[in-house]
Amino acid sequence: MLGRRILQFFLIFALGLLMLMGVKYGLGLSDYVIPGPGEIITTSQAVAQDYFFDTLNTLMVAVIGQCISIFMAFFVGITARKSTWAGTLIKAAAYNIQAYPIVAVAPIIFILLGDGFISRLLIAAMICYFPLLLSVIGIMAEPITDMEHFYIATGRMRWQLEVKIRAFENMAKLTTVIAGSSTLAMAGTIVAEFIAANQGIGHSIRIALYQSDLSRILTALFLIGLFLSIYQEILEGVGKRLTSGWILPKGVENEDL
Amino acid sequence: MGLTCQHLEYRYPRSDEWVFRDLSFCLDRPGFHSLFGPSGVGKTSLARVIAGEINGFKGELDRGEIKTVLYTYNQERLPGWAPIERHLDRITPEGREDLRAHLVEVFGLVPVMGQTFSQLSLGQQNRINLLRYLLQDFQLMIMDESLANVDERSKETILLEIKALFPDRYFLYISHNLIEVARFCDRIFLFRGIGKSPQAITFTGLNTRKTNQPGRDELDAVLLEIMNAG
Repeated sequence: MLGRRILQFFLIFALGLLMLMGVKYGLGLSDYVIPGPGEIITTSQAVAQDYFFDTLNTLMVAVIGQCISIFMAFFVGITARKSTWAGTLIKAAAYNIQAYPIVAVAPIIFILLGDGFISRLLIAAMICYFPLLLSVIGIMAEPITDMEHFYIATGRMRWQLEVKIRAFENMAKLTTVIAGSSTLAMAGTIVAEFIAANQGIGHSIRIALYQSDLSRILTALFLIGLFLSIYQEILEGVGKRLTSGWILPKGVENEDL
Repeated sequence: MGLTCQHLEYRYPRSDEWVFRDLSFCLDRPGFHSLFGPSGVGKTSLARVIAGEINGFKGELDRGEIKTVLYTYNQERLPGWAPIERHLDRITPEGREDLRAHLVEVFGLVPVMGQTFSQLSLGQQNRINLLRYLLQDFQLMIMDESLANVDERSKETILLEIKALFPDRYFLYISHNLIEVARFCDRIFLFRGIGKSPQAITFTGLNTRKTNQPGRDELDAVLLEIMNAG
């Protein structure tokens, strides 16, 4: 059975395609501007295999970039959760830096690091990192007073326990933020490939753009959406399993306070 | 000597309103005492001042021989990732396992030990919360509505057992139930609000114990005395 995310994607993509056809036949546009369904299907069949591996390549970079940014966001967010001068400084820096469009820095990264894997990874991680960081800081800096009071009053509070309580109480929020950040990571990777990289689906889209080949672009969009939906479905599933495993008593055997 | 407060006054930062002012009272002996009064007169704020959770007050607060103060309130929660029993295991100091087992039984919590906190009723949640505090080191415990939502019979059993188990400790019981306060407490500090002077008046309650059950007439007399003063 198809997951909710994947089903939503199919519906939206079909709607988008219908709208495009509506525009084409409504305005009487030529096949050169918007190709007909037959040409789209023929082109898709021709490029599907190459684009499949290109999208897979992009997704791999996005996943690694997202993992790095999740790790970084939690590391910095946990460090910055306290109202100390260091915490305040990190928070202020994070808020200010995230206001700057990371995509604008991308050309500098390509100049310095070339158009290979590292540049794409770095841009994906950076685009995904700051929104994630702001959410993690927001969650980790907010005390769960009614739960933490006992441990503070009896001198049992440790930073690990504090983080565990706050993460546990905000698990649904964290899962949503992490699943949402996958879109950003994918977008970051595609943007990087679109600007200068020599691999990935963004690179293929750029070539299709130069050829004004909308059929290829639509095929690429379909695969990007499909891969991203599957990835988000997996992330949300993992989040649900984690949450239920933590909350339900049957999962407590492995827990340690 | 126990706790002495002299001319205590406090208002929250950036507020013009005093929570309490020129407040004086003395907790001169161990036992089960009460902070009593209508909502908003500053009982919880005073409790948190005494527990050291609020600073920035004026006046004199001498904790005397009391070194460890614990403040517990009725909306506290236990984390939901483990059952109650696992939490209690982790927070029970060494050598107090028997006390824990006894309290679990007296508090009527044996059947819920395998459940998580969110699966309990409000009364059970409050009992578990109070129980875990009673297992810790303390000389003064402030119980802020700690037995709210607990039925009268269980409440009586619990209060009498606490008094029997910890005769040398200080307790400050915050409750809005006048009968309960009059029956079980020794000293009753009646808070009358910021506009009245003195702001707190001390009464002597019936201090009911397992071995001492006062009669109806004595209870009526204490109730009348407190109601007339309020």
